[in-house]
Amino acid sequence: MSALSNVKGPKSTRAGSKTLAKLAIRLGAFVAFAGILVYFAMTARGFTSPYNLMTVVEQSAILGLLAFGMTIVFAGTGTDVQRGGIDLSLAANAGLCAAVYAVMMREGYGNGLAIPAALITGMVVGLLNGIAVVSLRIIPLLGTLAVMNIAAGLELTLTENTVVSVSTPLMQVIAFGKFMGISTLAWCLIVVSMLLVWVMHFHRIGMRVYAVGGHHEAARAAGIDTGRYIYGAYIFAGFLAGVTSILIVSRLSSSTPGTGLMLLPILAAALLGTVFSRRFIPTIGGTLLAALFIGFLANGFQLLGISSYWVAGVQGALILLVVAVTSFAKNN
Amino acid sequence: MTTLAKPRLRFSLDTVSNYAVIIAFAVVVVIFSLTADGFLTGSNLMNLISNKVVLLAIIALGMTIVIGAGGIDLSVGVSIDLSSMIFIMMIAAGYAGFFAIMGGLAAAFCVGLANAILINKLKINPFLATLGVLFIGQSIQRLSTQGGVPIYLTRAEYAAPFDAIARTNLAGVPAPIIVMILCIIAVYLALHRSVFGRYVAALGAQAEVARYSGIRVAFNLSVVFIACAVLSGITGILLSSTVRSYVPFAGDAFLLDAIGATFIGTAISAERRPSVIGTLLGVLLLAVMRNGLLLIGWNFFWQQVGIGVLVFLVLGLSFGLKKRSE
Amino acid sequence: MTAAIEMRGITKTFGPVKALTDATLVVQPGTIHGLIGANGAGKSTIIKILAGIYARTSGTVTVMGKEMGVITPATIEAEGVHFIHQDRLLVPTATVAEAIFLRNEPRFGPFISYRQMNRQASELLRQYFDMELDPRTLISDLSTAQQKIVQITRALANKAKVLVLDEPTAALVKKEVDNLFVVLRRLKAEGRAIVFISHYMAEIEEICDVVTVLRNGSDVGVVTPADVGIAKIVEMMTNRDASEMYPRREPVIGKPALSVRNLTVAGAFQDVSFDLYEGEILGITGLLGSGDKDLLKALFGQVTPDSGEIMLNGKTVHFRTPVQAVRNGVAKIPEDRRAHGVATGLSVGENISLASLDQMSSRGFVQRDAEARNVDALIAELGIKTPGRHTLVKNLSGGNQQKVVVAKWLSCNSQVYLLDEPTVAVDVGAKVEIYNLMNRLALEGKALIFLSSDLEEITEMCDRTLVIYRGEIIAEYQRGEIDANRLLAVASGAALNQKETA
Repeated sequence: MSALSNVKGPKSTRAGSKTLAKLAIRLGAFVAFAGILVYFAMTARGFTSPYNLMTVVEQSAILGLLAFGMTIVFAGTGTDVQRGGIDLSLAANAGLCAAVYAVMMREGYGNGLAIPAALITGMVVGLLNGIAVVSLRIIPLLGTLAVMNIAAGLELTLTENTVVSVSTPLMQVIAFGKFMGISTLAWCLIVVSMLLVWVMHFHRIGMRVYAVGGHHEAARAAGIDTGRYIYGAYIFAGFLAGVTSILIVSRLSSSTPGTGLMLLPILAAALLGTVFSRRFIPTIGGTLLAALFIGFLANGFQLLGISSYWVAGVQGALILLVVAVTSFAKNN
Repeated sequence: MTTLAKPRLRFSLDTVSNYAVIIAFAVVVVIFSLTADGFLTGSNLMNLISNKVVLLAIIALGMTIVIGAGGIDLSVGVSIDLSSMIFIMMIAAGYAGFFAIMGGLAAAFCVGLANAILINKLKINPFLATLGVLFIGQSIQRLSTQGGVPIYLTRAEYAAPFDAIARTNLAGVPAPIIVMILCIIAVYLALHRSVFGRYVAALGAQAEVARYSGIRVAFNLSVVFIACAVLSGITGILLSSTVRSYVPFAGDAFLLDAIGATFIGTAISAERRPSVIGTLLGVLLLAVMRNGLLLIGWNFFWQQVGIGVLVFLVLGLSFGLKKRSE
Repeated sequence: MTAAIEMRGITKTFGPVKALTDATLVVQPGTIHGLIGANGAGKSTIIKILAGIYARTSGTVTVMGKEMGVITPATIEAEGVHFIHQDRLLVPTATVAEAIFLRNEPRFGPFISYRQMNRQASELLRQYFDMELDPRTLISDLSTAQQKIVQITRALANKAKVLVLDEPTAALVKKEVDNLFVVLRRLKAEGRAIVFISHYMAEIEEICDVVTVLRNGSDVGVVTPADVGIAKIVEMMTNRDASEMYPRREPVIGKPALSVRNLTVAGAFQDVSFDLYEGEILGITGLLGSGDKDLLKALFGQVTPDSGEIMLNGKTVHFRTPVQAVRNGVAKIPEDRRAHGVATGLSVGENISLASLDQMSSRGFVQRDAEARNVDALIAELGIKTPGRHTLVKNLSGGNQQKVVVAKWLSCNSQVYLLDEPTVAVDVGAKVEIYNLMNRLALEGKALIFLSSDLEEITEMCDRTLVIYRGEIIAEYQRGEIDANRLLAVASGAALNQKETA
């Protein structure tokens, strides 16, 4: 029996310190987040004003919704971005949907046709990703890259690389409307977040998506049709791109080239979000926090008069920090 | 009966999947020769090579080394831009062309070194490590250029070093093309003839086997990422010396084409391994597509759609059929 | 009575390799049915066919009297057949309760009822295993034994009628094994059928009512262990005259090549000392988790020892990475050949010269003529069956892949060979070739450490055998001093006390 305790002893303490390290990182992420907010609140004038907070939430809504799409793709395919899944086409897809919506509105089709068209466009692009990744078994990084090129090209073709201005009552409501003192954009973020928290974390669909992404073979052995779930993840991400595109057009009163540039912040938000999860997996709540964090960071810099040129670099450094720390925690 | 029929089917699918790129290339060339006036003229082909091929080819060579070793480098744009920026700034400050070039290459070397440290020491996977460097590189450019203001050196006082570079040629072949050919030879020798190339192949095929065989994995991976960054740096200098200016973020445009060309190139080998020949074929395919589509009157936007669809089809043929037949 | 599982005439081919030929497996409800055979006999293949992971080439499968067409993991699970795979197929990021109820989640309206799920998980764990485990624990934080238990619990939660356990006791300690057996007997009494696959003959004898013996991809008998006894079953498994299977060699033992003194890696093994001589094959055996594999890792620089000394040819060495081990002439032939031994996407030639390119290059460039000569010579010398050096290794059979690994080390003149289960998952013919190869290496004066859980090959091939148990070397035997059955008793700790008195 003494031999048994000899062998088992070190392992159990090792497991204990591992759990502790994980806890420290997770708490650390929250503390860092809170700490930066407190710092801004104390030093940046007007940071805590309701108007400013609301602006940040509005600004984060678009990033957040798109990052949810990426989160779901990550959930269903794993966060090993090189071998697992990724959706590089997400931002370009949103740009294409925005172009479809804006151009159709300009041509006078009305919301009744333009909105479904934008949503269907998004889902078709998602379907293309699914075909590439699941049916043709192209490496996701590559398959979605090709789809991204197609989507970006189609967007440019539709808009001829110009700003397509549109304005409708519905868009006015989305951009400037308020309900119970909270703006429509913020409502969108809140409602979609709640719906997705339900689907991904409190519904069997979400549980199975996570199983597929967590261990493909195990999910298959449990009888889950893994291909269908991966298709579903990509198509739903495309659907979210469609929804977001309508918000983008409303907010800017136009479809503007350059939506594709949001890809990197989207990736940053989805990856940063994993530190807020006890399992280090992408979650809806974590992504929401990360998107808000990125929004507050940019806003705080602005109020403090720090050049916005720093923002990208700080995001990059944050990604590196988070990934290095989580890989350290996982291996230790 | 079925056992007889299957291998034959497999053979034909395999053949199609292995030759997908070459077939696509041939089809594209034939179609453009027939439909696009002036496609097969000497001046058009020269224009094709010096404008569309040279820069992309050198970056894609770097990407070939990295992908060959099982990694990826999203920060090639940063290497291109920083080397271009330092080069132009040093010339503006009055340094001789040689020192400016060395300064630019040193900047690119640092980017590669940063990638290598993140990947080897902090154990961050190459995708995320180079993504982080890409973000940071963007900030550095914004901070050094007041948010992205280009630096133009078109005035006569700066002409000397550029003229020297522009005058350099070998039997009428301009310098950029010579540089490209030298890079092709160097990377070909490194990847397909040298010990280092074998290690790269082993890292790409199975890094653990390389480790078990006593190969210095970290060292070789560092060389891989630094080589890619320096090749991108060379591109940056070529780019800025032809346009005599530094335009922030100009390098980002090359990233996707370089990755695309490299992966298209993997389709020509049965084992789907990146190779110099394959990558060059991929670069040519993309360049010919853009040039031909332009000649038949498609605008830039439709070109992008066309190329996206082509890449999708080639990859689908090469991966889908390959995997199906296994 | 309808059989729970009836597999008849099952044949399975992988390319040119025939893994199963006309194999039969019939399991009755209310019994624990053993499935045994040597490595490569087809045990895991037949189970993977039943599980829908491999498609059978021909044959019929009937479950509870219902004939199955194409089997998928979902269709077989729908019939109430559940599998506890050897590689614990669980989602590492899920909690215990989520893993147990995956695809069978208790719901409260449109929500998953986590409260109910956690409660039911706790109840099941308590009911069957008498175990208090927080159902919210992550799978990745569980021990091997706990993960096995979670898998079995998942099957029970799904009301399994047939339970297939592939090597369920590997990595379990005795008490855990006893608990498992209590559960299995209870499940049997409830009328469920259990298929039990194990290498451990004593366990087979203890728990199984009936045993199907597989050999070379066919079933060679269905027996009751209580009637025929273990010795007879082992004979059925191998059916070989040992002298024919294991080539003989006249050992020529030289001076010490490798000396290990008081080597300790915390949590793995402690205070290990032994000498290995040139021309010697030294066997090391122990149960899974006994520390044998960690010992090889320490000798190859994959883990750094906490204390103790390693000497090569009398010189003390400190390996912190495999690079240093390889440069000092230590070679490892890893167990997981496809992950660590050969790069299957590279050619035969590229693999063989991978570790010795320095000797075949000048100024960093590979001298391709010298390389080709060297590679061709090794291909001929070892009799590697390949169309040529340019063939990809993935197109070679398992035995030939293993020869490529050996050729790689011969090419760089390694002196000490660490062989980690080199005969796993190769067919009998290839095994004999690998044994011949080992003998050749030894006759050339190389020093070999041979780690295997196949005790018969240990006793037949090794000049000397060390038994490692819970991280300590507890016994040493010269060739001929011990037979496989007795060695198993020693390795499993059952004969520990007897040995000490002997």
